[in-house]
Amino acid sequence: MTSLLQNLIDGLGQGSIYALLALGVAVIFGVMHLLNFAHGELITVSGYAAVAAFGSNLSWWLVAPLIIVVSIVTSLVIERVAFSRVRGASEFTQLLTSFGIHIIVSAVLIMSVGASVKTFAEPPWIFDRIDVGPLSLEKFDLLVIAVTAVTLAATTWLLQRTTFGLSLRAAAADFDTARLMGVDSDRVIRGAFALSGALAGVAGIFWLMRAGNTDPSAGIDPMLKGVLAALIGGLGSLRGAVLGGLALGVAEVLLRSQLPSSVAVLTDAVVFGLIAFLFIFRPQGLITVQHAERV
Amino acid sequence: MRIKQLLALLFAFALVAAACGGDDTSADDSDGGDTESSEGSDSEDGGDGDEGGSSSSGPAVDIDAVLAVDLENCEAPPTGDPIRVGMAMDFSDVVGFVDIPGSQLVPHFADLINCAGGVNGSPVEVRVQEVGDDAALAASELLDWGAHFLIGPPFADFALPILQTTEGNVPLFIAASTEPSLSDAENNSYLVSFDDAGQASAAADYAISQGITRAFVFTEGAGVPYTGVNPDEFIAAFEAGGGEIIAELSYVWAADTDFSAQVEELSGLLEGNEAFFSAALGFQVTALKGQLEAAGFDGITYMGTDALDATGIQVEDNADGVIHTPHIFIEPGDRNDLLLTSYTDTNGEELGSRGFMGLYVDSMLLGLQGIQDCGCTDSEAIGEAVRAIEGFDGFSGEITYAGTNGTPPKAVPIVQVEGGADVLLSK
Repeated sequence: MTSLLQNLIDGLGQGSIYALLALGVAVIFGVMHLLNFAHGELITVSGYAAVAAFGSNLSWWLVAPLIIVVSIVTSLVIERVAFSRVRGASEFTQLLTSFGIHIIVSAVLIMSVGASVKTFAEPPWIFDRIDVGPLSLEKFDLLVIAVTAVTLAATTWLLQRTTFGLSLRAAAADFDTARLMGVDSDRVIRGAFALSGALAGVAGIFWLMRAGNTDPSAGIDPMLKGVLAALIGGLGSLRGAVLGGLALGVAEVLLRSQLPSSVAVLTDAVVFGLIAFLFIFRPQGLITVQHAERV
Repeated sequence: MRIKQLLALLFAFALVAAACGGDDTSADDSDGGDTESSEGSDSEDGGDGDEGGSSSSGPAVDIDAVLAVDLENCEAPPTGDPIRVGMAMDFSDVVGFVDIPGSQLVPHFADLINCAGGVNGSPVEVRVQEVGDDAALAASELLDWGAHFLIGPPFADFALPILQTTEGNVPLFIAASTEPSLSDAENNSYLVSFDDAGQASAAADYAISQGITRAFVFTEGAGVPYTGVNPDEFIAAFEAGGGEIIAELSYVWAADTDFSAQVEELSGLLEGNEAFFSAALGFQVTALKGQLEAAGFDGITYMGTDALDATGIQVEDNADGVIHTPHIFIEPGDRNDLLLTSYTDTNGEELGSRGFMGLYVDSMLLGLQGIQDCGCTDSEAIGEAVRAIEGFDGFSGEITYAGTNGTPPKAVPIVQVEGGADVLLSK
């Protein structure tokens, strides 16, 4: 029982990062109907910014906000340079554009800084643990869970209590009608990308803290986790994105820990199998959204 | 309906992306695509030295003499028919970290050879072709150009299509791979390094020699190339030496850094004096080390493969004490150090990799040795000569193909990270 509880908390820590990534994916999907496969590039670029910052002897206290800023700026640049050019195109075109962005960013990084893994120091407390009764909890997991909760609350407040949030939700519900009602579509989309970038930045801090390195394809794994979590939760639902992320993280840790060693290598296959099983019965994901495009 | 279509499309792409891992990107072919090196000078003394190779006809290249040349003061250009070396390289983020610098260093060394007079009066030309998504096409283009032998990329998914293209008629040297399936002398395919069995069993033997009797491994599954084969070989050698494997745990290579589940499972098994072995990358080993130490296990001996050298374990935080098996142990002033310094001095910048670079140059030198030994430029005859090479003294040690299936029986350096650098433990 103690072991299960331990695994559960470890999984929630892992899943919280996935949840932050899924939130960013859900925000963009809500406004543009776009599954943004370039979302991971925000972490890739932020990672290289972190490498440069650590090279200048900056501490994690300064690098963390830098990662968020770089992620937001990168997200806005990607929107401006790529997605704004295909805004009226089909979902398929936009999807391919997002793949193209990933390929271009990777190629540019390989040519400019090389294909080798760039490492940097994790925070000194990254592996510290706190004993709570029979449980030994990582400080890192507790911090990630707390920050995710605060970020989710702040995002909800932003969307529910501000004019920008109202515009974003209106555009998500019916983009054309929102424009006719005076909503500035460019501003809304830029805002969505900035918000998505900020969420990716927060996720990126923890992803990079844990990894302690980056390379030109560093964004693939977080992108896949974020998209999967958003799908599990139900595309268009912020609550679903969080739930999907947590479910994915817990499932990964539990399966890796509880499966017999001889079949534990099938963890990812089992996770994908469970997801496929979920979609047979709930193709809309865990949370049903009245309008899939709603944020 | 459109959402459903999009979902179906998403899954298709997600599965493809997951299956492909990180190999879906590549450097711009036009930028890194073709590099030729043919300038040089004429001299007949290229094979006079007593180093650089040992075979029926003497060494094709006197390595130490070539390393001593000054590119500003070359001999007269060699006038013989050019010897053409084709490099089919993977510039993607999967192995670009070694193939890119390798494809920069080999043309540089060809320049040095030509500056010293070439190989028996023939200049060496090197053409680099990026494999992109079609390694077979890259190989075809190099063969159309007239390559006498090829140097291929490390992983089987790119190297095997090249082998299918050559049909075993043209020697193919795999510079930076330990993949046993690429070792096939009958089909003219040769590893330049030791293979997985060599490095994993060397690590196991070292652990046993240090009195370690318990070990645990991380694996991606029995028989999985590299990430599974290395632990398989370690287990076999460790148990053969009288050791006990207490756990085989799964992980995702090159991705996982949160090993909470594994640490939880190990906490009930460890005594704290075990050896850990895997083919994991540097940042993964140091992450596991940190998490196990935080859980109170600070007497574990961490051991890994050549992947640790490839990913720069030396500069990782918390890497002190980690033991690994690089291909080459470089010491100040030795051949490899001079080789890398020569490149830096000429080009004004350091290569992106150090430990693997001698393997790339050795690949070229072995092909040149085959040409020297057969006294011909017919690729099949060159292959016959390569299969008979014995005691070739290259940058990465002594290489013998005679009597092997294409994997040279090489010494495996065992090194330990200390204060940001490797210290040689045994060889």
